[in-house]
Amino acid sequence: MNAIILSAIWGVVLMFCSVLIKNKGVYRHIAALGLLVILAGNIHETYHGSFFNIDTHEMLRFSRFGLFFNTILLAATLLYVLLSGRDVEKAGGYVAEYFTLIFFVLCGASILTSFNTLLMLFIGIEILSIPLYILTGSDKRNLRSNEAALKYFLMGAFSTGILLMGIALVYGGTGSFMLEVPRSAIMGGYKGVSFLEVTGLLFLLVAMSFKVSAAPFHFWTPDVYDGAPSVFTSFMATIVKAAAFAAFLKLFEARVGDTSAAVDWKLLLSIIIVSTLLIGNVTAVFQQSVKRMLAYSSIAQAGFMLFAVFSLNDVAKEGLLLYATAYSLATIGVFAVLIKMKDVTFEGFNGLARKNPVLAATTTICLLSLAGIPLTAGFFAKFSMLSAVIKTGTYTWLVVVAVLFAAVSAYYYFRVIQAMYFKEGDAQTEEVTGGFKVLLIAVAALVILFGVQPQALLNWFYF
Amino acid sequence: MPLLNVLLTAAPAAASSASNYFPIGLQLLFAIGFVATMMVGTHLLGPKRRTGDKLENFASGIESHGDARQPMAIKYFLVAILFVLFDVEVIFFYPYAVNFRGLGWSGFWSVLMFVGFFAVGFFYIIKKGALQWED
Repeated sequence: MNAIILSAIWGVVLMFCSVLIKNKGVYRHIAALGLLVILAGNIHETYHGSFFNIDTHEMLRFSRFGLFFNTILLAATLLYVLLSGRDVEKAGGYVAEYFTLIFFVLCGASILTSFNTLLMLFIGIEILSIPLYILTGSDKRNLRSNEAALKYFLMGAFSTGILLMGIALVYGGTGSFMLEVPRSAIMGGYKGVSFLEVTGLLFLLVAMSFKVSAAPFHFWTPDVYDGAPSVFTSFMATIVKAAAFAAFLKLFEARVGDTSAAVDWKLLLSIIIVSTLLIGNVTAVFQQSVKRMLAYSSIAQAGFMLFAVFSLNDVAKEGLLLYATAYSLATIGVFAVLIKMKDVTFEGFNGLARKNPVLAATTTICLLSLAGIPLTAGFFAKFSMLSAVIKTGTYTWLVVVAVLFAAVSAYYYFRVIQAMYFKEGDAQTEEVTGGFKVLLIAVAALVILFGVQPQALLNWFYF
Repeated sequence: MPLLNVLLTAAPAAASSASNYFPIGLQLLFAIGFVATMMVGTHLLGPKRRTGDKLENFASGIESHGDARQPMAIKYFLVAILFVLFDVEVIFFYPYAVNFRGLGWSGFWSVLMFVGFFAVGFFYIIKKGALQWED
């Protein structure tokens, strides 16, 4: 509750800053301050309860998992603002409004981690998406940015239509919008699974797969991630995607058990997972631009995160927390460097190690984490996802497939590392400050810390 | 196990027996039949006089000139969308006015908060110069 209310209020505060404060450099400090306040509020709520006492009529339910997820999202956003806040100022003319929209996205994200009715799921998804359509098109004079925004908006609107259709069908089948309906209350004590409910859940599966860019609903992702200004791509690919996954997990955790007599969810999800891994990884291999490669790699990573939705057990929940952290940290780190590059193709990175060793080293650590190399956070994230699958006891071949595709992913991540260290070239970067380098080193240190001691993160979840 | 065996689970008998849908089916048939009959009837029976005037777009009897699809100042859209926003605010006042007494103070504070949000938004657009007509 704290995160939802405070982030909405701070968004409005920033809106007014754009009117009252003319100095553009101040906005990112206000945004960072706001994130600290919201983060503190959310942590307070996790352990001591909310500042606000509002009767939500059971439409929102604040679980430990959701609140902890909020903390991760907020901390990642704070890191993002500290690292890339300066670049938000270069994205376009309305700097304070961009930060405002980021706060509104966070409001939607914290609804997604706590919804208890399908209506709140819908509202959360919309609050999350609509600011993103604007952020995607924030580079108004750039044709590709415009194209990306329009494409994202149209496809997003369509998927929202499917989501609503699904919610309506689930309502038709169960007579309730609540996430968990007592089965005895449905249709006057009728015991079977309603055809409408199952069809509705399939629609919801499609809509949620679209939001997390799982194949075959991924087609918007490369164009949108490539066309949007890099700063906002970084935000979209990390925090937003993680929030959508939290909602995905929450939704299916509540519904799969009752309907598994009617649909083989495991088979359905394993088809989605394998095609996501296949399309994401194989297409990423052929990219020439690092930015576009990262867009495809985010599809591939979504495939891994889908294992949480697939297994739906305690290990999967922990794994998603770990994965969201590892993936967000690494991707924010890589994007922070990418934004500073003059040329975002693989050739643009040639010889970065000689020119700017700190940037090259931190990027390398982040890329290794994305590939899932041991001693980085990505390794334990992937490990816990796969052990969640093993724990379900079925579909163990999925683990083999996943490991094979993780090996494929190493190829395109290492291409960047190879360009930085082993190729001659003159990598052009923009001016980087000392503070930026310190933060990058901190990100890399966190990646390694969670890679050596994943319990350092998860212990907070239990205490 | 088949991917989908929804069709095997029977729907509850009371809710979906075919006879319950009979009136709806009848209405559907009647609606389609009525429209079809009328359209075919007018085409067959009505006199046909084709003149150039009839092919013009009808705009309240005034002669139309030019194409509507031309660039227009963005300000019109801005004013239009802001109008819609504040129009919707007024719509919410009607049910509140009817239930004013019943909702008591808690209702008053809720509506005050709602109006407060709008006032804040209004202040923002004024300050941003969204309603400034002259450049």
